[in-house]
Amino acid sequence: MIPRRAFLAAVAAPLARPAGAFQSDGQRDALLESLLAELERARELRLENLERPYFVEYAVHDMEAFYAGATLGALAESRIERLRLPRIRVRVGSYDFDNTNYVFSDSMTGAPYALSYFPLEDHPAAIRRHLWLATDLVYRSALQILARKRAAVRNLTLGESLPDFARAEPVRMILAPRRQIFQPKEWEGMLRSLSAELRAYPEVTASGVEFQISTGMFYLVNTEGAQIRIPENVARFQVRANALAEDGMPLRDSAIFLAHEFRDLPGEPELRQAVRSVGENLRALVRAPLADNYLGPVLFEPQAAAQLLADLLGRNLGWRRRPISEPGRPVPFADSELEGRLGTRILPEWIDIVDDPTAEQWEGKRLFGSYPVDLEGVVPRRLVIVEKGILKAMLGTRQPVKGQLESNGRARLYGSYGANAAAFGNLFVQAAQRSSMEELRKRLLELCAQRNRPYGLVVRKLDFPSTASGAEFQRMAARLAQGGGSRRVVSAPLLAYRVYPDGREELVRGLQFRELTVRSLRDIVAAGGDPVAFDYLENGAPMALTGASAFVAECSVVAPGLLFEEVQLERPAEEFPRLPIVPRPPLEANL
Amino acid sequence: MAYEVTEEQGCTVAATLGALQVSRCQQNRVLDVTVRVGSLQLDNYHRMPGERPVFTSAARLPLDDVPGAIRQIVWLETDRVYRSAAERLIRLKTSTQVRAAGEEQAADFTEEKPSVFAGAPKPFSFPKELWEERVKRWSAAFGASSGILTSQVSIGARREVKYLVNTEGTRLVHGRNYSRIVISASTRSSDGMDLNLSENLDSEDASGLPSDKVVLATVERVARQLEALRTAPVAEPFVGPAILSGKAAGVFFHEIFGHRVEGHRQKDESEGQTFTKSLGQQVLPSFLSVIFDPTRRRAAGVDLNGSYLYDDEGVAARRVPVVEMGVLKTFLMSRSPLPQVPRSNGHGRRQSGYEVVSRQSNLIVESSKTVSESALREMLRQEIRRQKKPYGLYFEQVTGGFTQTRRGGLQAFAVIPLVVYRVYADGRPDELVRGVEIVGTPLASFGKVLATSDRPEVFNGFCGAESGNVPVAAVSPALLVSEIETQRKETSTDRPPLLPPPPAGGGS
Repeated sequence: MIPRRAFLAAVAAPLARPAGAFQSDGQRDALLESLLAELERARELRLENLERPYFVEYAVHDMEAFYAGATLGALAESRIERLRLPRIRVRVGSYDFDNTNYVFSDSMTGAPYALSYFPLEDHPAAIRRHLWLATDLVYRSALQILARKRAAVRNLTLGESLPDFARAEPVRMILAPRRQIFQPKEWEGMLRSLSAELRAYPEVTASGVEFQISTGMFYLVNTEGAQIRIPENVARFQVRANALAEDGMPLRDSAIFLAHEFRDLPGEPELRQAVRSVGENLRALVRAPLADNYLGPVLFEPQAAAQLLADLLGRNLGWRRRPISEPGRPVPFADSELEGRLGTRILPEWIDIVDDPTAEQWEGKRLFGSYPVDLEGVVPRRLVIVEKGILKAMLGTRQPVKGQLESNGRARLYGSYGANAAAFGNLFVQAAQRSSMEELRKRLLELCAQRNRPYGLVVRKLDFPSTASGAEFQRMAARLAQGGGSRRVVSAPLLAYRVYPDGREELVRGLQFRELTVRSLRDIVAAGGDPVAFDYLENGAPMALTGASAFVAECSVVAPGLLFEEVQLERPAEEFPRLPIVPRPPLEANL
Repeated sequence: MAYEVTEEQGCTVAATLGALQVSRCQQNRVLDVTVRVGSLQLDNYHRMPGERPVFTSAARLPLDDVPGAIRQIVWLETDRVYRSAAERLIRLKTSTQVRAAGEEQAADFTEEKPSVFAGAPKPFSFPKELWEERVKRWSAAFGASSGILTSQVSIGARREVKYLVNTEGTRLVHGRNYSRIVISASTRSSDGMDLNLSENLDSEDASGLPSDKVVLATVERVARQLEALRTAPVAEPFVGPAILSGKAAGVFFHEIFGHRVEGHRQKDESEGQTFTKSLGQQVLPSFLSVIFDPTRRRAAGVDLNGSYLYDDEGVAARRVPVVEMGVLKTFLMSRSPLPQVPRSNGHGRRQSGYEVVSRQSNLIVESSKTVSESALREMLRQEIRRQKKPYGLYFEQVTGGFTQTRRGGLQAFAVIPLVVYRVYADGRPDELVRGVEIVGTPLASFGKVLATSDRPEVFNGFCGAESGNVPVAAVSPALLVSEIETQRKETSTDRPPLLPPPPAGGGS
């Protein structure tokens, strides 16, 4: 996984200001100069009497990435990589109609040049040669794609036509680098020691702790005049463990910590405690009774509420466009559940939601989802998404969609068909009416009593981002496809408790949500408890499945606990494989 | 049951025009679990038509030697593989009863004696900064060539250790070091033909790699040849005599002959089975012998890439004469027997994550009809005159192609020529041509070898097939073939880059 898009933490929110191709400390930046020089030449591309590009863009993620993992006191993997990942986009046609938003927009036609990795060093001749050949191929493909698209639209009746690309003011933002120093030996030692904590839990059948640290710069230049260079830093710690219940049900728990820089992650004692907690949770889950199907009120504690909103809103607040296709060729395309809902009520009227990537601090904590400029060079501003429960705005990129013709600077993930995908930065969920946690629990039990339910349900933690393995994820998706209900995979609860009228809590296992969609948000009846800021890495995959994509965006959701009047959960009937035939091997007393 | 752990440590450094592109090192340990249930006659590995069962999944093991951590992963992986094996056996048993018995059935597994050996290869040593400086300097030597589009020089060094234990008592630790310098470049002619050249220099130990002088000379040769190719005339379709250089002949043998003597293909009805019924028969001219010898470490002054002490089933490597004086004697065998060849001969190989099948090792062509290279040339000229052809061909360099051995597909092979010359009978200098493709049917080509040179050359490479990538080599003298058929390579409709190249100095 190669994280990207980190915001320079300690610098005050930078304004776009003009700067030359020089670093703020006066040093020349050979990579930036080479990008600009080749960009100028790219304007002159022309095949025979066909059109020149009307837009060319070069982006480069220049980074160093460290990854290490350990299990039960043993180092499993450790590597450092230096990478430069280029991204070259060429548009032909015009802002109104170009080679994007078409089913074949991502295809490359023609034989590629034998290009290898982008040069890692500041060597103008080698860098420009790479760009020269790559741009040539992308331009020629763009021409073919545009010709094909033009032919396709002649045979289609199109609805209301939207431009293909929104104009945007070019921004110049050249910020100083902020490279993290790697300490591989020290980090490997920490991982060995932290992973050894799980040796005390014989219930755990597999486990791992890992660090992922990346540091570098993001470059973006385009023919409109944008010149961007911003630091990108992400530091991530994860512990994940698996266990098996007596009936063979696979169980999993995990904890993830994020910061922009390693030194801002929690210290070793707190990480150690998190590892132990995962062990404790699994121990409790192995002994926990199977849950029953449930239809009734559910209280999401603040962390789980934030996770739920991240999962539901994250994928639905950015709208994409169905690409133009050919007659008789369906395009696999998932619409947003909020499509067409601008101006309608999607939440109770006492809830507002604001996305503010320019905010840096909240309650003394550095916000993880802050960023100065998006992937398309657009500066984001504070955006009111929901006001008094009504959907006022959605996350926009430079791909015009119905209801959002201009970008509002939320292009944060690479998308398909020549467009980019939107993600929020810091999402603040604000409830005008707030109770305390105790009051919410009381309310939950009252609702249960009204419905003659013997117990209510409290969800403490969701599997979001999901740390399911590839095989587990496929099983989940297959189950959902068979079971009817919503076809979208929603994160399952990792920690869910029955709450009885006497206040007693009982952990249960095996629950999954059924039919939990954006529509369900209207069933929120109360909010309360101290809000938490939940940080995560969005990657565009269902349940933000970790490892599903190399490109990620840093996000944060600040939310209080939420009480839903009615949520449906089920414990699917499943045949689990028998427990391992041979008992687990012993662990030696000392490492 | 068997556990094989492949432990790999390696670094790669690559540069273009003096700029680093890659510089990384990695280490990993991977476990392949084998569980066999049933009997030697019928076990869970029995193949059904169209099916190739895979049970192992290359599970990662910790790098640290912490027994508890390692055992936990081995435990779960074994459980998973066992279940998978048991399930398949049940399915096979019901299905084999239903299917009609084919020709005499071979068993699924052989009996072999266990092997015990412990000999780890030399420790890994790779001074990264030193290699970065060298590779950058070598790659910069391409800078003088204006006709080349892309170029690269890289070095890869690896140390591989294999651990193998099984329930028969085999206990093995063995492995090798391996390093390779690759020099490659590409360009595109004005009519849109992509041209690539690549040369590799191999050595077991990085200290055995050629000197600066040799590497730079190779860079210069690749650059010069590629620039000449770019403006060379396009080849015409041709049928006539040719010489294949030793290296080209090695590839030729590996592709059109070697794959067809792999044991597992003789058991598979969907394969062409060209030689299945040819044991004891003449399959090559009687002056040619073909030996597969993984115990041979060096030939013609070069370390061989297909060397090993034990195969991936723990069977000791040995010299296997597959063809003796033109007569087919045996096949390359893993522990999956044939009715005619009931034991392994140490050629059961695989890449981690795949199941073992019989694969090639060091293919060695021996000839009893050798002449000097200049005499071979003269023989070519005579043959050109005799056949009344305008010219003959000389294949100096080829790269491994693909072979179609399956029934239903064309029984054709395609070895990809890179550097080919027209040779004239009247003593005119050789003329470089581009866009040549060899075609032909395998059996027909063999009968047409007239003579060989007296100087073998080595082709080191990697072969990808059903059990993944394995390192191989081919050693062969140059061959004179009375008839080879070539066609013109399919040209693309592409063209060279639209803009001129950026300034060599990098400035605007």
